[in-house]
Amino acid sequence: MLKKLKSVRILLGIGLFASVLFAAYSIYYKVEYWGFSFAPKQKTAVWTIEAHVGFEPTEKPIKVSITRPSASKGFKVLDEDVVAFKYDIDMQEEKVVLTSKPRKKMQDIYYRVLLYDNVESRGKTPAPKPEKIVKPILDEQSLSVAYQILETANSLVGDDVSRVIKLFNQTPPDETVRAFMPERRSDKETAQAVIDLLALKNISARMVRGIKLQEDKKTFMPDVMIEAYMDNMWKIYNLQTGRKGLPSDFIVFQRGNRPLVDVVGGENSVIKYSVMKSLSTSYKMAGHRAKIANQEGRFGYSIYNLPLNQQNALKWLMIFPLAILVVVLMRNVVGISTMGTFTPMLIAMSLVETGFVYGLVCFAIIIGIGILIRALLSRLNLLLVPRISAVVIFVIIIMQIMAIIGYNWQLPIASSALFFPIIITAWIIERASITWEEDGAKNALREIVNSVLVAIVTYFVIVNDTIRHVMFAFNELNLVILFIVMLLGTYTGYRITELTRFAPLAKKEK
Amino acid sequence: MFGWFKNFATPSQLKAAGVLGMNARNYDIIAKSNKRRLYPLVDDKVQTKKLANEVGINTPRLIGVIDVQNEVDNFLDLVKDYKEFVVKPAHGSGGKGVLVIKQYDAENFVTASEKVLTYNEVYQHISNILSGLYSLGGKYDIALIEEMVHFSNQFQDFSYQGIPDVRVIVYQGFPALAMMRLATKESGGRANLHQGAVGVGIDVKTGCAISAVSHNLPIAIHPDTKADLMKLKVPFWREHLEIAVKGYEMTGLGYLGADIVLDKFRGPMMLELNARPGLAIQIANNRGLRNILEDIKNNYPKGLNPQQRLDYVLGVAKD
Repeated sequence: MLKKLKSVRILLGIGLFASVLFAAYSIYYKVEYWGFSFAPKQKTAVWTIEAHVGFEPTEKPIKVSITRPSASKGFKVLDEDVVAFKYDIDMQEEKVVLTSKPRKKMQDIYYRVLLYDNVESRGKTPAPKPEKIVKPILDEQSLSVAYQILETANSLVGDDVSRVIKLFNQTPPDETVRAFMPERRSDKETAQAVIDLLALKNISARMVRGIKLQEDKKTFMPDVMIEAYMDNMWKIYNLQTGRKGLPSDFIVFQRGNRPLVDVVGGENSVIKYSVMKSLSTSYKMAGHRAKIANQEGRFGYSIYNLPLNQQNALKWLMIFPLAILVVVLMRNVVGISTMGTFTPMLIAMSLVETGFVYGLVCFAIIIGIGILIRALLSRLNLLLVPRISAVVIFVIIIMQIMAIIGYNWQLPIASSALFFPIIITAWIIERASITWEEDGAKNALREIVNSVLVAIVTYFVIVNDTIRHVMFAFNELNLVILFIVMLLGTYTGYRITELTRFAPLAKKEK
Repeated sequence: MFGWFKNFATPSQLKAAGVLGMNARNYDIIAKSNKRRLYPLVDDKVQTKKLANEVGINTPRLIGVIDVQNEVDNFLDLVKDYKEFVVKPAHGSGGKGVLVIKQYDAENFVTASEKVLTYNEVYQHISNILSGLYSLGGKYDIALIEEMVHFSNQFQDFSYQGIPDVRVIVYQGFPALAMMRLATKESGGRANLHQGAVGVGIDVKTGCAISAVSHNLPIAIHPDTKADLMKLKVPFWREHLEIAVKGYEMTGLGYLGADIVLDKFRGPMMLELNARPGLAIQIANNRGLRNILEDIKNNYPKGLNPQQRLDYVLGVAKD
């Protein structure tokens, strides 16, 4: 007999262990590949950068290359797509190449990339290999000005690179800089000048082009930064301030001198970048992320790929096992007897909808009125089924009246009446009345109080946002709960309430 | 419920006292001793009565059965030859739904606790039984109408109204623990301990009282009649035990509780059997059940007939 019990426990124990392992792996998997987290973060920022390339064809074969944002830890590419009518599209590692036969009309090509802001790891740039320094070819006069600039820069604070950048950005403009290049210049020209000067100091530097993320930004020029190779590392500098480090909102598209978009077979090309920020649920994004990780199959068959309304229903369902666990614990380990096994759980679920205090007060009012009406009904000597049916209808009427009163008098307490399960409420009233008649008001009240007590405990477990999120995002935990519940089914120890119930027996042994 | 932290024993203390907890009762004892298909034998009082009469166990005589709603109208016809009667649900438990009418005319019905009910109220009660109000799981039920038990004068002083009954726990055919339940004013003439009835632990060997409790607290005298409970001795003790012990053969239940009443004229009678007898009997006896059950399982002889088992327990044939 005992052996059998042990083997059942061992079996369930193995099941629990296996389910914990499975859950642990699955949680790791979801965090790593789908980007799920334990915090109930509802939305995550998703940036959309759109490059619109417009040009006039020159009646030659067309080849358009658009640079793709370079892999960075800070932002993960969720999705990208190209809208180009009847072009052959070749997605290469660094760029998208579109080719076509000669065309006549004005061409519009859209390249769109969705970026997920991976806050934890952004701003850390990988260190690529240095390049050979190309010294600028300058005439004698320019060369002397250049050295003069470097000399002046030495008087400023900061490292070699930021000193030069700062000098270029001084207001009023530095005289030597003005002599070196015109005051009105593009970022690109400034950057090139800085790179040239640094080359004279034997510092390898390059241009970094990308997009600074700002909501609803529209620009014709990509943003430019400078990267210099110092102390065996590439360091990135802001071209305006000389500050070192990659800003958290800068998406690098390209390093080096090549243009971002290259159009062959077209002229008067215009490139316009627009940036949009949108918020996306982490579950929706998980799909994108699964796609990147080549895990679409698994994601497709998960609950997170279901239509949203079904997901919402499941979100609600996923908390049930935990609530059930609470009920099992309260009954078999604590030893509180309640009206109906899962009645407290259903009350708790209603409390989540109504709010705690409002719900409890409202529930007490409904039950109170219900018991009064039931007492009147019992005088009519109705048969059981019609009588309980009458109670159900009365409960519905009470709820209507309370809802109306609640709305007109602005009483949220009364308004919450509608959230209680009608049949369950009616049965609580019926059972309380019977217990009242048979065992007295004290016992009836105790049964109700016990049930509400368990409901309150359940409520505090299931109302917690984090718990709800975790139970939905990591639904494999339900398997763990299943085995815990089954193991509790073999618990033969004393219930906590029995420790008092049988206390007189123990005292004797002392 | 809320006072539990005041009076509190540790699990190891209870274990040392051999107390059987609810979980252990359900898992270790009932689930293993009682096959589920046997439950209907004891859950349905009509079946129990039939079985009992087959093996020669006395039960209160059946006057009639009402199993359809429209038969409720005829209940007065059924009882017309009887001055008193008892109505109970076939699937009731814990004495719920039992109505004892000790005197009646066409209009007024006097219950055992001197409450006067109208015809309508009795009618309503029977119809409630049929609709399953008192049955386990709320299923449709039938109502039994039985002869009233005339309880023996022996216990007159020990019970406030109501009929005292003896509960015997039978494990593998051997009586393990016994108690007598005495109604009090508080329990409204009913013999349920949780309603305030007095539980008196009865020595299985002798039928004599060994301890008594009311609301979990030891007492020595009946709260209403002031009778000295320790003087209580159940007459025809062997006959009481015989009924309980035969319940094992009758039902095949390895663990059962037999409820037995002593009728003034007909002697001990089986009221009902219970496949899930409660644990309060341990408190009444001030003694844990677990060790006794283990002793029976491990040390008692196997394969005896009811009489041999009785002899063994009562020490008659014990060497």
